[in-house]
Amino acid sequence: MGKVISIHSFRGGTGKSNLTANLSATLAARGYRVGVFDTDVASPGIHVLFGINDVPASASLNAYFWGNCSIQDAAVDVMPALEGAGVPVSASGALYLVPASIETGEIARILHDGYDVGLLNDGILGLMDHYDLDFVFVDTHPGVNEETLLSIAISEVTIIILRPDQQDLQGTAVTIELARQLECKNLQLIVNKAHRNADHAVMKASVEQKLGAPVIEVIALSDDMVQFGSGGVYCMRFPDHDYSQAVGRVADCLVAAGTASQLSDRRVS
Amino acid sequence: MSGPEIASGVQALLGGVRSAASPFRTYLKDLHRRFANDSEGRVADYIPELAKAKPEWFGISVATVNGLTFEVGDAQTDFTIQSVSKPFVFGLALEDNGRDHTLSRVGVEPTGDAFNSIIKLDTKSGRPQNPMVNAGAISTAGLVKGAHLTERFNRLGGMLSRYAGRSLPVDMAVYTSERSTGHRNRALAHLMLNFGMIDPNVDETLDLYFQQCSVLINARDLAMMGATLANGGVNPLTKEQAIAPEYVQDVLSVMYSCGMYDYTGEWSYRVGLPAKSGVGGGVVAVVPRVMAIAVFSPLLDERGNSVRALKVCEAISKDLGLHLLAHSPNRRRLTELLPGIVD
Repeated sequence: MGKVISIHSFRGGTGKSNLTANLSATLAARGYRVGVFDTDVASPGIHVLFGINDVPASASLNAYFWGNCSIQDAAVDVMPALEGAGVPVSASGALYLVPASIETGEIARILHDGYDVGLLNDGILGLMDHYDLDFVFVDTHPGVNEETLLSIAISEVTIIILRPDQQDLQGTAVTIELARQLECKNLQLIVNKAHRNADHAVMKASVEQKLGAPVIEVIALSDDMVQFGSGGVYCMRFPDHDYSQAVGRVADCLVAAGTASQLSDRRVS
Repeated sequence: MSGPEIASGVQALLGGVRSAASPFRTYLKDLHRRFANDSEGRVADYIPELAKAKPEWFGISVATVNGLTFEVGDAQTDFTIQSVSKPFVFGLALEDNGRDHTLSRVGVEPTGDAFNSIIKLDTKSGRPQNPMVNAGAISTAGLVKGAHLTERFNRLGGMLSRYAGRSLPVDMAVYTSERSTGHRNRALAHLMLNFGMIDPNVDETLDLYFQQCSVLINARDLAMMGATLANGGVNPLTKEQAIAPEYVQDVLSVMYSCGMYDYTGEWSYRVGLPAKSGVGGGVVAVVPRVMAIAVFSPLLDERGNSVRALKVCEAISKDLGLHLLAHSPNRRRLTELLPGIVD
């Protein structure tokens, strides 16, 4: 049985989709079988990072929710997008993306009608089973909503991304409180877009103290990333960049999660 | 919104998520799939309104005492409560009159006869056999207090609504249909009046009884009503007391001994749970201190029990070791599927 990893942030613009794409690609390149769900049905976007411009309404997470296609039919093989980017890709790896529809009518419909969140659970477990996946990442809409909480409830590891910002800190505390009530097994924080001159160790300790949850990485705001502008999966192009190295360390943690105590070593005492 | 309202909103959201993520939901979906194509039985047609039910309607809902709710299929399709109302009204009669007076008007002995049987009603018995047969249910409705019909119905409807956790409406078409064609029930009532078993305001009591049977519910409501009984009379979500705790055992006892018409003996043997069935197609089975299972499917067998409901309840009882008198190793499955539900 694979691991479900849910990736959240309380507010938008934390770099959640970029991190999800980079983490999933890093693991797939190492030879793991990976799935990614874009449950941000209100503002989908992660497909762009995998070089997909057009999400057909007939094969999307939306279509699956309406009962118009199976979950495997909604999944796109995005492994070809990683190949040739520069980083060697293991032949045993796999990467499937279940995109959310970008059509205005589809977005309006799902926001208006809502959907049975139980189907998301079935879909995640169904895709994992169908493709024999090692990891499924769930990229969620910012804030707290049903799919956020559902993905926390079924996750092996929940990662919450925040910026070193008072609004982010306060909101993240809300998500952590709800995650605790759902008996979340393994909750980790990533501080993203930190100032490059800030003392990351001090920042880590301060966030851990304020939120009572472990910080696995503090990642600096990178001008290079800004310039790249979601033009692809960054760490596949620039594997030696600090950002890519940080993503690699988080990937190591996810591989170890549930099997070794690498994560718990980093927990605040 | 007040603090407690916000807190209960958060709990409802978390509860919905826990249910959606629960393996028990998958178990119920599989069960629904297993019996969805089973088209044994026929829709009740003794009143024209009931004959409008679709044979394919099939919903399962489960509510636990710790507030989790599950539903599969047509769990939000409305149907009339019919005989399922009887044990709940028996509870109200007990609250209004106490045990001694109530039991002087209706017994608790199974009959083995059909629900509308007239046979065992004679001068010697002095009271109808039990509150689950029509004669006993009419007598029980007669015990519901109130200055006039409206007040009596408001009390009865309010009581059912507290169990369900929402205000339940009456299906007027079914009510008028029952009232204009309920000759047998009128005959039962007048026979009982002749024997001095019920008070003289027979027509008012019959009206109350027909209204009681025409209350609209769905499987989700029914599961919540059963869960309230499983939870000592307190609705697991609203925390409202629907019945005084000391009478919960009275209600569950008559359900266990008389709840499934003239199939009750076999039901108790095979399924082993207090339950109640109605010709609207609803069945509720109560697992005391744990949960309630409600099934809605209007295809009935010749005794008036929903065929799919019998099959679903028997399967769940076996799979999870729920038979009250059993020492089943399958009970472990219950805690696997619903962690934290240990009774």
